[in-house]
Amino acid sequence: MEKLKEIEMKAVNWKSIREEGLDLEYAVPIPKNIANDIFKELENSLEYFTGDLSKIKVFGKVYPLPRQQVAYGDPGITYTYSGTTVPALPWPAPVLALRDFLVALRGIKYDFVLVNKYRNGNDHMGEHRDNEPELDPTAPIASLSFGQQRTFVLKHRDARKTGIDKRPIPPVKMPSLRIDQSDLKCKNGCDYFGNPQWQGYCSKCHREQMQRQRKAEKESSATLPKPEQKKPDRGLRIPSHSSFSKFEEKRLRQSETLKKANLLKFSVFKKSSTDDHDHSAEKRPPEFKIPGIVNEGMKREFRARFPQLGPAVDRDSRLFVHSFIMDVIKCANVLTVDELSERVQRQYQRFMKHMDTSSHFANVEADTKELLMDFVEKHAMTYLHELPSVVFSPSGTDDERLDRAMSERIQQLSWVGERHLDCKLHRDSPDCRQLLYKAISELLGMDSALSPGDKLCRVRRCCRHVLRLCAAPASADDLLPALIFTVLKANPPRLVSNINFVTRFCNAQRLMTGEGGYYFTNLCCAVSFIENLTAESLNMDKKEFDCYMAMPASIGGSAWAAALSLCGAAREAGELRAQAHALRTRTDHVHSRALLLAANAQSFEEQIAKKVHDVLAKTPLEIKPRRELPRLGNLKEVNTGPLIDLGTTSVQEELQTKPEVKPEPLAATLLPIPTESKEPNITIQPETEPKLNILGFEVIERQSPSKSPQNLDQTWDLKQTSSLELLTPSPLGFTPFDSRSIDELMTPDEFGTDQLAPGLSNINYDIDLSDFSGDNSIAEEAPKSEPKDPFSPEALRKITTFDPFAPQTSKGFETALDSFDEFSFVDPRKQETDPFEVVHRGQDPFSPVELSKDPFFNPEKQSTSILDDNDTPATACLLPSPIQPQSSKKPT
Amino acid sequence: MTSGPYNYSYIFKYIIIGDMGVGKSCLLHQFTDKKFMADCPHTIGVEFGTRIIEVAGQKIKLQIWDTAGQERFRAVTRSYYRGAAGALMVYDITRRSTYNHLSSWLTDTRNLTNPSTVIFLIGNKSDLDGQRDVTYEEAKQFADENGLMFVEASAKTGQNVEEAFLETAKKIYQSIQDGRLDLNAAESGVQHKPASPGRPLAAPPAARDNCAC
Repeated sequence: MEKLKEIEMKAVNWKSIREEGLDLEYAVPIPKNIANDIFKELENSLEYFTGDLSKIKVFGKVYPLPRQQVAYGDPGITYTYSGTTVPALPWPAPVLALRDFLVALRGIKYDFVLVNKYRNGNDHMGEHRDNEPELDPTAPIASLSFGQQRTFVLKHRDARKTGIDKRPIPPVKMPSLRIDQSDLKCKNGCDYFGNPQWQGYCSKCHREQMQRQRKAEKESSATLPKPEQKKPDRGLRIPSHSSFSKFEEKRLRQSETLKKANLLKFSVFKKSSTDDHDHSAEKRPPEFKIPGIVNEGMKREFRARFPQLGPAVDRDSRLFVHSFIMDVIKCANVLTVDELSERVQRQYQRFMKHMDTSSHFANVEADTKELLMDFVEKHAMTYLHELPSVVFSPSGTDDERLDRAMSERIQQLSWVGERHLDCKLHRDSPDCRQLLYKAISELLGMDSALSPGDKLCRVRRCCRHVLRLCAAPASADDLLPALIFTVLKANPPRLVSNINFVTRFCNAQRLMTGEGGYYFTNLCCAVSFIENLTAESLNMDKKEFDCYMAMPASIGGSAWAAALSLCGAAREAGELRAQAHALRTRTDHVHSRALLLAANAQSFEEQIAKKVHDVLAKTPLEIKPRRELPRLGNLKEVNTGPLIDLGTTSVQEELQTKPEVKPEPLAATLLPIPTESKEPNITIQPETEPKLNILGFEVIERQSPSKSPQNLDQTWDLKQTSSLELLTPSPLGFTPFDSRSIDELMTPDEFGTDQLAPGLSNINYDIDLSDFSGDNSIAEEAPKSEPKDPFSPEALRKITTFDPFAPQTSKGFETALDSFDEFSFVDPRKQETDPFEVVHRGQDPFSPVELSKDPFFNPEKQSTSILDDNDTPATACLLPSPIQPQSSKKPT
Repeated sequence: MTSGPYNYSYIFKYIIIGDMGVGKSCLLHQFTDKKFMADCPHTIGVEFGTRIIEVAGQKIKLQIWDTAGQERFRAVTRSYYRGAAGALMVYDITRRSTYNHLSSWLTDTRNLTNPSTVIFLIGNKSDLDGQRDVTYEEAKQFADENGLMFVEASAKTGQNVEEAFLETAKKIYQSIQDGRLDLNAAESGVQHKPASPGRPLAAPPAARDNCAC
């Protein structure tokens, strides 16, 4: 940060772009090395908004921000955009340094900064204008960018207009600042800039590339017979933030193939904006790509619903949905809602015509065609429905406002009862209440249904309940008032939006015919009746009506509200009762089964008893077995007795004589997963033949001829240094820990298959560690030493510097060594199974050292016996580790 | 094509209008279910107000919408009219008030439907001749003056009910034949179902060559 102050401001090479309404100056004032430092510091020190501040509201819907954001500024400053007010946090040091840098550079002291971090290629900032009123119109907006290269696109506002006002002004892209431009061009040669995130393509070419790739994938996967259900839970349920779901999708895909590049775009020091041009700092144009889930969902449903139809039909319908969605999205901004509605209707007709003329549909029945039409409509509209302000309460309409007005009006009319509407409803009748309750819940469900067809379905179900409400004979004369009453009591959310959505974008043919269409028409009538409701339409006195309307909404209609809430409660109670009943029957069942089981057990017991009795009765030779038994017992005693004794005494002895050697007894006590009989073997031998052990090594070991502790010492030292050399000189700054793991990775290749020991040692090591910490007997000392990971750089260094065989080593070491050697000695005797476990457990912490050593130092040793692993150096290595902290503590 | 529930060439949408209590729903049910509704409660349901008839050898599915007749709903029931190919205007021969309202119903119908919509006037409850309040002649004259087809019918006995619906269908079919009715307009109330799959039969082999690679 200090380096910022040393930058020579006058040497900065400013360039400028002047277009109509655009006055832009740019430069690379900060040298790359300093910029990188700043980038790192920003990465380390900045914390980004979370919670509500990391979300964005677009036309009333809330989405997570596709980037990380934080704002700093002088005290008291806030910044409001898209309905979100961002508080300015106090300046952190690096950002303040940048602010001061800007003062020195341009002489403008900014009081606010919005920091945007684009974590990867999917994060972005949409087209926007920095025209917020709180910005100072006289000062320019400064934008600093750190990290990866990103394109900064500026468009003239008029270029985005529609109709006559639209002017063909091409967008301006900031030229590349650090690298030669040609390096950044799209690989496709389309004259746009490429991006490493997009494999060197520009966004458009990359998208096309991806699409091609995906198509290929899809086609290859389509040939597979089994239904692909990669993410069944995602299914058709498009999350509410689906406009970003494509980014989700993409991110999922990219995370597999691309490394996430960290980009911090330190964007937009705000002080003002000249109002006559549009800014957009974004890496991809706002073009839509239909997420694969639409396709997948369609495929699945198609297979389920139309198994008799061929793949051509499936493909046709999917193609249609695709082009349909694209068309709607493309036109949504250009056309008015009515025009869009007409266009959608034409699309439906087009598909109808296609079905009638295309050879693919030649054998499809007329009714199936209708179902297909619904199917197509459903999928296209389900997707579009979730896009904000495209088809559902589209921008440019009053739908949302009308929704609120309608909701308020219905609330105000809550006093309207069945007598005002002349419905033949009986509040006292539980059936009537139930039906009304069901009708209302269906009507409320309309909002959550996504496609027009589903919404119609809800309306249809609702109206069927309402019809049953009406006294027979049912007719429209009864249906409509009852439906009005239902709507009044339900007060469905976003009613106008829903009705308009269905009216505009449902297949018109269906709206005009069929049950759904009929009921929907009734609903429309009901809604418009409520809208225009007057005293006259309720056949009541104007004064009385006004009185009712003046009444606070909370007072009226309580009787029905209460009845309905009772209904809800009753239904809930019913459900609970059913549940309780089911539980009860289950308990009864369990109980009866338990009784049965008990009876069975008893009879079984009796049977056994009887059988035993029979057998006993049948076998008269009671004396003979008695004679035999004592012999067997004696044998057992002979076998077990001494072993147990030895085991206990030896362990005790060890503990008593070598209390300072913690790891050894521990190893001994930890090993005992094997049975007791093995333990004594291990522990006895150390005491009886410690020298033999060393000799044994002499004989077997050829590569490391260690005849005495001194010799061992030397060779060990050598090896250690060599391994240290191998470990340390990493130019990349790898820690020995890393090199260890690398070495370990090498072992499977280096060692033959007959030497499974390294592989085993890994597994064993884990067990050992956890046991160690849990052991009570040495808990006081061992944990202290253990936390220092034997693999940590310090530990390794200590190991390498520490000489376990130097003269000054304590007796404890020798004894420990002895006892360890005994372990190793076990090896040759009990080949392959037990000794391996024993040895490797102890040895394991040092396997890195040894492993790193072996491949390099004794490469030809590979074919030698397993005793390699019991090499004395290794054992020597092993021992110090837990003890070492004790000895190393003293010097420090 | 064999016979089946979906085997029809056209769908005609009808609406039944008239004051409350003139027997609109009864007429509908008499026609669709051939029953008088007193015997069978709510039947608007599964086979919702439809019946397939045959006119000049063409199978036609009639889709009939009952409407609410109360005066206070008059203003809001416009959406019923949308896309109706036929309108059955019903009055009760035993109640003059229902007859008197016909002119306003007619106005609505003319205003809210397309010009080619066929309007059929039905004097219902002809079985209650003893309580007659409106004479046949009077109503016939009204119908002639306004260019309506007219019949007196009884939903209870079923007298003339079929005729009323069938005559309307014939008239609509006639309009289609004459070309007065544009089938492509969504508002026409007529949906054409081209049921002949013979035409594109030549195409499949070629198409198969293209895709089966």
